[in-house]
Amino acid sequence: MPVQSLQNTDVIVPQHTPHPLLPFLQSQSQTTLTRLYQRPSSCLSIFRLLGPIERQLIMNLLWLESALSVATISAWVLPEGKDAYDSALAVMTGLHIAQNSAVKLALNPTFKSSLRQAITGGGSTGSFGVPTDKDGKRQSANIENLDAYALERWETILHYMVSSGQGQNPTKPSQGVLYLLQRSGLMNNAHGPALQITSSGFQFLLHSPHDQLWNLLLQYLHMAEERQMDLVEVLSFLFMLSTMDLGREYSTEPLSETQKAMLEDLRDYGLVWQRKTSSKRFSPTRLATTLTSSSPPLPSSHSTGGSHTADGTGAVALSSGAAQQGFIVLETNYRIYAYTDNPLQTAVLNLFITMKYRFPNLVVGMLTRESVRKALGNGISADQIISYLTTHAHPQMRKNNPLLPVTVQDQIRLWELERNRLKSAEGYLYKDFASQADYEYVLAYAKQLDVVLWENAAKRCFFGTLEGHANVRGFIERRTGSV
Amino acid sequence: MEKASHLSVIVDLSPTQWHLSAQTSNQYPLSIETFLSQLLAFLNAHIASKHENSLVVFGALPGKSVLLYSSTELLSDDVPSLDANSYLPFKLVDSTVVQRIMNEFDAIGELEEEPSCALVGAVTKALCYINRITHPSSTTAGVAEDPSIVHDPRILILSVSPDLSSSYIPIMNAIFSAQKLKVTIDVCKVYGPDTVFLQQAAHLTNGSYIYLERRDALLQYLIMSFLSPTSIRKILAVPKQDKIDFRAACFCHKNIVDIGFVCSVCLSIFCQPLPVCSTCRLATLVPWLPTLTLTDTERSSLSIHSNDSMLLAPFSLLQTHA
Repeated sequence: MPVQSLQNTDVIVPQHTPHPLLPFLQSQSQTTLTRLYQRPSSCLSIFRLLGPIERQLIMNLLWLESALSVATISAWVLPEGKDAYDSALAVMTGLHIAQNSAVKLALNPTFKSSLRQAITGGGSTGSFGVPTDKDGKRQSANIENLDAYALERWETILHYMVSSGQGQNPTKPSQGVLYLLQRSGLMNNAHGPALQITSSGFQFLLHSPHDQLWNLLLQYLHMAEERQMDLVEVLSFLFMLSTMDLGREYSTEPLSETQKAMLEDLRDYGLVWQRKTSSKRFSPTRLATTLTSSSPPLPSSHSTGGSHTADGTGAVALSSGAAQQGFIVLETNYRIYAYTDNPLQTAVLNLFITMKYRFPNLVVGMLTRESVRKALGNGISADQIISYLTTHAHPQMRKNNPLLPVTVQDQIRLWELERNRLKSAEGYLYKDFASQADYEYVLAYAKQLDVVLWENAAKRCFFGTLEGHANVRGFIERRTGSV
Repeated sequence: MEKASHLSVIVDLSPTQWHLSAQTSNQYPLSIETFLSQLLAFLNAHIASKHENSLVVFGALPGKSVLLYSSTELLSDDVPSLDANSYLPFKLVDSTVVQRIMNEFDAIGELEEEPSCALVGAVTKALCYINRITHPSSTTAGVAEDPSIVHDPRILILSVSPDLSSSYIPIMNAIFSAQKLKVTIDVCKVYGPDTVFLQQAAHLTNGSYIYLERRDALLQYLIMSFLSPTSIRKILAVPKQDKIDFRAACFCHKNIVDIGFVCSVCLSIFCQPLPVCSTCRLATLVPWLPTLTLTDTERSSLSIHSNDSMLLAPFSLLQTHA
């Protein structure tokens, strides 16, 4: 799954992990990408998804009229940054943003002109969304309502996934969402008519909201071609949403048919809000506007006094007030105290913790061998459990160094290693060789083919893999035939 | 994801200097309108790089310095109208900055003698602002990895005026605070002679000082030298100055001096010897000897013979590197 590359468990070393959408974009053809680059908002959003070196290189080349020779640019690169520079160039060439010949380096002209338009404003593509005037008759959605709507939709999906195997009956998300979950491998109906969560689904639950959102959107993009939706239109609509202003209403008039059809799906995921299905306006929620940034996409589930400014875009530094606060306290005696009343978070914790007590604002549980083994059996890894606990650690825990007690971390990993005691492999046992020389000759041949799993020289037998059996058998028959 | 970076831009808005810069007798005349349009494109580029990047713009006018735009606090009441062809944050920056500058220029009016440009005031305000956002006073959330906490603050000074010798001491103090806050100060000399103090500022805080030769290529200079955050500067180099002019200004007359007298205790610089140091009130009874340079033996013999009851070493001569 492409999301695996985003697992950045070591929070101390800041390194740039490439965004999961980039491999998908690189697999598209040049014409598709050039059509996508005709819209300034798409260029701006893709620009934000790239790494810092790529962004600086693009900016360096943006306002130049002619191509720059490769030697000039490499003269700017310090020796220790050579590898990073080369990989950045490779990314840019793969996305057809830069045309890289051996001698000269220039930007794709469509990308160049669109990004210039994005930065200076202008052009006539209307790619940032056509805003509508405030409708005096009906009340438009304000930011709190939008946040609440997005949170409710998103958590419905996750809650449905968590409680699918446990006999509860939560509210079902819409058919489109269920279909998407099934296609992405997060749930399947292998164990019965109803959908059940799979092991990749369990891993999905422990990711951050950004990763989860992009995971689902990537799946949606993969399915888009089968549903005969133009990929460029789908992508441009998503990128347009990411540049929109939170709390404004936009008109659906200039959207194409594909994009109007997308509105319904996006409503189910909680990305946009519409008063009713036939409404001519829509508003993006915070999930949509933070697609290309790393600000928290969902408000905290506790009702902290939201720092609310008149203009949603200005709340860059103020969004820390609405950040998802940590709520888990982990003690060295394996007890966990989670200060939450959110049923989804409780359900996720229940995956690997034995619950002991529930209070209106507190859930107490213990990390036991059985509970962790149950989670490991479902496909969750020890690292995921540890990173989930780290990300959601209560601010009080920050006083500890390291954050989680080392004993508990080690013990979770040991419980995971317990499952690795036995490894089984199917194959064939070769024994009863006529002489030592025969045995060694066949063994040497099998080792050449690299199919030997185990050997015992004293008993003159060895174990070979299933795939190599045909070759070894043929070899023996040829030898016995010729002798 | 890498962390956000913060940029404080200080624009020197001295009307006389800009008027001189726009004269066609210059090799590359640059009027303030052209300058502003290129500067706004640069500011937009900074915001475009990352959603969480923060930006604050100060203007240094004759006699006062004002905050023109801040991305964390919305000061203006009229938000520009939303438009399908432009990204709202860009439009916000551009319109706020231009509007404010127009208001300030209108407010200057006619003055007999233009007071000096308050560049140092703007630098100090920028440092206070950075201090405020990097160390929030109330740590209620205490989130260690909050992406909106500023990681790499930078100050960019766009200067057109010559050096103001009375600002030597405040600028040095600002440089020391910047070093403590780990702020990088970059300087771009758009017009006017080389400024000694700003060169030192850039050098001491590991920033870059650029003297614009081709003023029509201002935007390209800005983007290539000043847009990248510190972590990227280790990979893609930015131009720095080789030879720095380390001259200082004397404390008594505020003249820029090459050779001067230095108090041995507090290291204040004077152009002429004083019996009592004005900063630390060090008194000496030894009269000034007419020789220009003292050898070590002569200096040590002088100190032995001085009066034991009063304070210690006489003034010593110091020649600064030109």
